[in-house]
Amino acid sequence: MSAAVTAPSPPARRRLPLEIIGGWEVGLIIFLILLYLAGVYINPRFFGSSAALSSVMRDAARYGVMAVGMTFVIVNKDLDLSVGSLYGLTAAVFAVSFAPSYFNTDLYLAVAWALAVGLLVGLINGVLVTILRVPAFIATLTMLFIGRGIVTGMSGGKTISFMSKAGEHPEFFIIGQNNAWGFNNQVFVFAVFAVVGMVVLAKTTAGYQTFATGGNELASDYAGIATRRVRMRAYLISAFCATVAGMMQVAQDRALIAQSGQGLELIVIAAVVVGGASILGGRGRVLGSVLGVILIVLIDKVLREGYATTRTVLVDKIEMKVQAVAQLPPGAVPAFLGLILILAVLIEPWVIRRNAIGRLWAKIRGLPIPPAPDVGSVAIVGAQTRGSVVSDRAMNARGLGKFLARRDAAAIIIAVVLWFAGIYLRPDFWGSLDNSFNLILAFTEVALLSIGLTFVIANGDIDLSVGSVLAMSGAIAAFSMKTMGFGPWTSILLALCGGMLAGAVNAAVTVRFKLPAFVATLGMFYTARGVAAWIVSGRELFGFPESFNLIGRKLIEALRYFDIAPAPDSFLFSLSAALSVLSIFMIVLAIMTAIILGYTIWGQQVYATGGNIRAAAYAGIDTDRVRALGLVFSALCGSLAGVIYIAFYRSFIPTAGQFRELDAIASVIIGGGSIFGGFGTIIGSLAGAAVITLLRALLSLQVIRADGSSFVLSQHWVNVFIGLILILAVVGDIWLRQSAALGIILKSLFARRWRRSRA
Amino acid sequence: MPEEMSSLEQPIIEMRGISKAFGPVRALADVDLRLFPGEVLGLVGDNSAGKSTLMKILTGAYHRDAGEILVAGKTVNFKSPHESRDAGIEMIYQDFALCGNMDVGQNVFLGRWPRKGPFVDRKTMYSEADNVLKRLKVDVNSVHQRVESLSGGRQQSVAIARAISFEPRVVVLDEPTANLSVVATERLLETMLELKKHGVAQIIISHRLQDIFAVGDRVMVLKRGENVGEREIKRTTEHEVLALIVSGKPEK
Repeated sequence: MSAAVTAPSPPARRRLPLEIIGGWEVGLIIFLILLYLAGVYINPRFFGSSAALSSVMRDAARYGVMAVGMTFVIVNKDLDLSVGSLYGLTAAVFAVSFAPSYFNTDLYLAVAWALAVGLLVGLINGVLVTILRVPAFIATLTMLFIGRGIVTGMSGGKTISFMSKAGEHPEFFIIGQNNAWGFNNQVFVFAVFAVVGMVVLAKTTAGYQTFATGGNELASDYAGIATRRVRMRAYLISAFCATVAGMMQVAQDRALIAQSGQGLELIVIAAVVVGGASILGGRGRVLGSVLGVILIVLIDKVLREGYATTRTVLVDKIEMKVQAVAQLPPGAVPAFLGLILILAVLIEPWVIRRNAIGRLWAKIRGLPIPPAPDVGSVAIVGAQTRGSVVSDRAMNARGLGKFLARRDAAAIIIAVVLWFAGIYLRPDFWGSLDNSFNLILAFTEVALLSIGLTFVIANGDIDLSVGSVLAMSGAIAAFSMKTMGFGPWTSILLALCGGMLAGAVNAAVTVRFKLPAFVATLGMFYTARGVAAWIVSGRELFGFPESFNLIGRKLIEALRYFDIAPAPDSFLFSLSAALSVLSIFMIVLAIMTAIILGYTIWGQQVYATGGNIRAAAYAGIDTDRVRALGLVFSALCGSLAGVIYIAFYRSFIPTAGQFRELDAIASVIIGGGSIFGGFGTIIGSLAGAAVITLLRALLSLQVIRADGSSFVLSQHWVNVFIGLILILAVVGDIWLRQSAALGIILKSLFARRWRRSRA
Repeated sequence: MPEEMSSLEQPIIEMRGISKAFGPVRALADVDLRLFPGEVLGLVGDNSAGKSTLMKILTGAYHRDAGEILVAGKTVNFKSPHESRDAGIEMIYQDFALCGNMDVGQNVFLGRWPRKGPFVDRKTMYSEADNVLKRLKVDVNSVHQRVESLSGGRQQSVAIARAISFEPRVVVLDEPTANLSVVATERLLETMLELKKHGVAQIIISHRLQDIFAVGDRVMVLKRGENVGEREIKRTTEHEVLALIVSGKPEK
């Protein structure tokens, strides 16, 4: 009926070819010009020169090529978080292959290698998302971490340079050079990609298929569109674009910097959504994305370049005017970009789709306000692909069978097996008090994050920002103790408040504006980490009061501090030497939340909301409240983990808690949670956290070989491995636990045999 | 015709002159509906005849443009389905509105789990859920079974069990047999007769006339948002009702 309900269409007065350019793009162009003029006004020395325009266009060129690919993915209602990582990875593959200090291959072979790796990653993304039905954000986020780990592992964190060899191949490296007209050749590549992308998305069958798939995948499927192939194609296009951008980068820099491309996905995604594409799928234009890129790069430049100021300084009672450039501290730029992402995802659903500008204009002119189109269609939550065939094994099983049928059984068993593996590998070290203390403390950090995430994931949401919130709260606590001179309690309170504020923003975007939780928390992922670096100005802070540091100490030290330590060599002594103060706190929190989730009304509401949000709402559950509480609680747990972190290390560094969201999500999924919601228990998540902690400890264990030499795996490769585990856990949950695929396979095998024996 | 009945009893639901438009599209125009206690009313008509819209107006999911609704003789003005539920009107949706990840007992008490202090009173929950299922004579093996492991027909039974656990006076079923197998449909019709025995009035929206003729007392035909006929099941034939659906003219 909804088709018939739409208001009578306005008289056909088409001034613009709307499939290419619309009012939003025109607005963007005007805004761009105004912003550039503002840049010229604030910092005439930089923006007044033609070099500024040239450098904006040069940077925009690489990101723009990636944004063209990303537009296809986002219009498909998917997301590709791996582009920034892939941009670095393909550059690294090229560098390692081409550089004389490494394999020293031919130029074209190096390019071919990079292209092969890029397309392989695109293919893996596509297979994970379309065939294995892993939610796009989790598949590509893991790919981001894996790619980043491989780049650092491969380059050893160093810069790989190939200056002189590059001189032998001007035909390739000319891409990165300025031409006779005074601008960089990369702008040409950008223009070609933009025009081709525009035409393909707007004019060809492939583009129409993309819009159909993003608009309503089920309907497109019924209409005979191979939607899986369409989505796979978009991931390949996106990966190809990221690879080309990576090649443009090495052509320009003639070297690989290990950190290149870090956080780049943020710029690209923010650009595409600022350009008017909908994170809810089905809408977007390449031209908008292209303009969005230029806008984001310009904002980035304006923020980074700072503005010239004149300060008056008193030197020997003589006033002197000093020219200075006020610059934003490190971290401020990603913080702003994260905020822009959070705001930008609201643009299409709440501004463009509801014609907010047109209605405002009508209101100003006093004309009748046109009605807002159906708002209901905005409330789209990620498609649920829950398998409906789950056997009731748990019902009929008894004893050991009953335990094995639990969703968290695997995590508990694996955790025990891993611990014994540690004993087997390093009998001299593994069981010691010191190692146990470190294991339990690392476990405490992951466990705290996963306790909060269990609520969020059981609600059917996700919180990607926990690691960043950890950093932000750690920064707040460290800053208030060290710089502001507050006491430990005040500082902890401030840290927790900061964390809850982040959670409240997540909750507002998710619940109030009805956008998927992964988008809201992705914005917070960058914002909170940026704020953390901003607070401490990118430096390390240390030297906190000892009464605060006790939180991260062994229980025995705390007891000694208060002069109530048990006698040495007693069991209590060993126990309090292996436990940290915060482990006790974590255990209390775990017991409380386990009771809440398992036995109270709130717990039941969480499972109902995650299981079927519509049914829960119809049954009178305030699902908005349940989801918001989950997100705020998760952020609170993140900030508690941040407090522990700085108490244990007695210092704060801006990279605190990096990759921790990966560990925590993996813990919950391994422990029986479902990425689609409705499942997850505290005991399971704790077991999952134990699995992750033990895996990390085992992988970074110094293994002593028979010949006396020892070997340690670098932390970057450990991160790669944990990423693989997360993907395996999600795929395993979808295909083994949810749809009982093993049972079906076994049944079909037996059925065939049975049929054959009958024949 | 219903006039004879109305003189005997007061209708549990009376909708008078209901009109509703969505923008330029007129969905309902001056529609009347009456439902008597313990009666089963079939609501039939083509697609877009306004059946679901009429029921959504009854439960408060939509707001009417004109007309009035009386429940047991009293004028009501529901603003949401929760308010109509409080007045004893339950709607069962085509796709059941259950949580597959939870078990039968938890779903029967979805959103109003009995509590003992701060905790969920599981004992009461499961025993009462069991009672409701027994009363309906539904053969769900156990109240501890997860709903997504049940067949479509049994899920439908759980949805009905959930609805009647509110002790409603009226149950509205939206296309209850659309997704069911033949056997499951048979069982559902038995359940509906069981409900009728307990004095619950029912409105069934259905495309399948044979279902309505199997359990219904009266059938009402809508066509393009208008009332085109009302027949008592005993005194009509499927053929006559079909003729009304296809070429009925507004009666007033």
